Amino acid sequence: MDLKFDSIEGDSTQYRLMMITFASFAIAGFIATWYVIEHGLWVTGMNNRVPWGLQIVMAVYYIGLSAGSLVISGLYGVFGKLEYKPFARIAVYLATLFLIAGLLSILTDQGRIDRVFVEPFVYFNLQSMFSINPILYIGHILICLLYLWALFYERKKLTSVVATLAFGWAFCVHTGTGAIFGFGARVLYESPLLPASFVAAAMASGTALMILMIVGLFRITKRRLDDELIIWLGRFLAICLLVVVYFMFVENAYRAYVVELRDAAMYYLFGGLHSLFFWVGLIVIGCFIPIFLLFYRKTGKTVRGIVIASALVVFGVLCERYVIVLPGLTHPPELFPGMEITESVLQEGIASYSLSFLEILQALGVFGVIGFLFGWGLKYLKLLPTEARILKHYETTEITSKEK
Amino acid sequence: MDRRDFIKTTGGLILTVGSGTYAFRILSATGVSVSDTDNPLIGKKWGMVIDLTKCRPDCTDCLTACRTENNVSFHGDKRWDNHWIRKVKIEGEVGHTKVEKMVPLLCNHCDNPPCAQVCPVKATYKRDDGIVIVDHHRCIGCRYCMIACPYNARQFNFKNDEDWPNEERPKRSHGVAEACNLCAHRLDVGQMPACVEACQKCGANAILVGDLNDPVSEINRITSTLSVKRIREDLGTEPKVYYLGL
Repeated sequence: MDLKFDSIEGDSTQYRLMMITFASFAIAGFIATWYVIEHGLWVTGMNNRVPWGLQIVMAVYYIGLSAGSLVISGLYGVFGKLEYKPFARIAVYLATLFLIAGLLSILTDQGRIDRVFVEPFVYFNLQSMFSINPILYIGHILICLLYLWALFYERKKLTSVVATLAFGWAFCVHTGTGAIFGFGARVLYESPLLPASFVAAAMASGTALMILMIVGLFRITKRRLDDELIIWLGRFLAICLLVVVYFMFVENAYRAYVVELRDAAMYYLFGGLHSLFFWVGLIVIGCFIPIFLLFYRKTGKTVRGIVIASALVVFGVLCERYVIVLPGLTHPPELFPGMEITESVLQEGIASYSLSFLEILQALGVFGVIGFLFGWGLKYLKLLPTEARILKHYETTEITSKEK
Repeated sequence: MDRRDFIKTTGGLILTVGSGTYAFRILSATGVSVSDTDNPLIGKKWGMVIDLTKCRPDCTDCLTACRTENNVSFHGDKRWDNHWIRKVKIEGEVGHTKVEKMVPLLCNHCDNPPCAQVCPVKATYKRDDGIVIVDHHRCIGCRYCMIACPYNARQFNFKNDEDWPNEERPKRSHGVAEACNLCAHRLDVGQMPACVEACQKCGANAILVGDLNDPVSEINRITSTLSVKRIREDLGTEPKVYYLGL
């Protein structure tokens, strides 16, 4: 049986509308970023006590999504699961785009964007997670591009070598990103578990998003997709979620148990709007309901049930990224244990943070850029298979324009 | 020339010019190093002692002097105002007695500065004389140092400040991180930092800056014979700002 890859026609009204929407988002984001550069970062609402905001949350989220996409491609490339070969190209393409989105989010958040392309390479600081991570990110993108090339040109040996490299590299990328926070001095950041739990959440969100993308693309373009393929991915997602919940539990139990961290733990768990994101967004919507849907026989074995669970996970992990970044900043560093600062010219106690319109526009802009590149890829690259079925062997051919 | 050739030629041209410019910028950005023998900073280790028993609770002369000397930006909004030195009121109970103190806080110029450790471009670094300083021409504005500082002593220039009281010092522009530099420019020419000078002028004489490496210095006598405290010594950052009466 031949496995045929094809691009989409891309001349429907829906496709054009989609591309126009993505382009408008990108333009809006570009204008918002230009405004921020011109007037200073204060216009985003970030301040001396909460110096990181939505763009960092989104960066971490996108980088996580990139991991999960690679996992799906690794099922074929690393573990040789032939039935997942049809998704390998689209998975690697998405992994590349998500990492670009992560880098764009970080880039647009810098105070001096003009220096970002020179200084970090000239004055490299091996001790800084912010120096190490860009190397990991750029390496990741390059490996993904090579991986994509190997897949497109059907270099089987190279595919398996690069896939294994990409898989290992992705672990480093996500451990490194987790370490930006986990190796930090803030009470709610500092945790050796954070890089590991970051990898788990990344795999869960990435797998969930790939399920949504695969089912969505195959349904819209009316391609055949065997349910069994999605059901197996659903089971994999369920296991990832169990690991996420386990890490969450251990981390928070530790903080609540150790006397000196208890106040911070209480703030994290019950201290404000972020606690709502934690309990409702992450734990209930993002973990418990999807775990139930995926393990319950009637929903766990239907594509519909798995798709709903995946959509909830994608939302839940976004909440998880929010509660990694923000509460650690709004919670104050303790300068005088046993004493309280009651007067100051700066904000000293618990600080507040709310999303600003400009930050949302910037985030939409990054989404628009990768959305546009994704749409472009569907039209000009042969990313999608004509069908995805459970077969023993595939011989790959690409549909030429004459055959269409 | 057909379309393919045109794209190839223009693409090649853009790539060559672009990478050439980039390489030039990178090469020209590499700094000039000073040999150790020429470096007058080696051998010194600046530190500060703040005597809270002498500091007047309602006096803010050191804050004003610092702002005027260093053009520290101020906008009248706590969220974006910068204070290289600030005074906070702390309250608590020691035994059954209620304690209230006014404490000036500033960069501790740590011997193990976490801000310098995390800076991805080494814009924040510790000088050979122990002063932790920010190179405003190199900082990319990532704000990781603010996250890493356990003392809340680092701030960010979130917006431009049009006030420029001291034209001999740089005007503050937005997009870079800031913190007290112990008036390194003054220490380098034998003057005391602006806050120390202001404190002496107001008569309180509560702030002292000196060389911790000099065995006969006043600061060494105080830190070795009197009961001094540093903020959050348990963190292992080795702050060089000592407090008497904390």
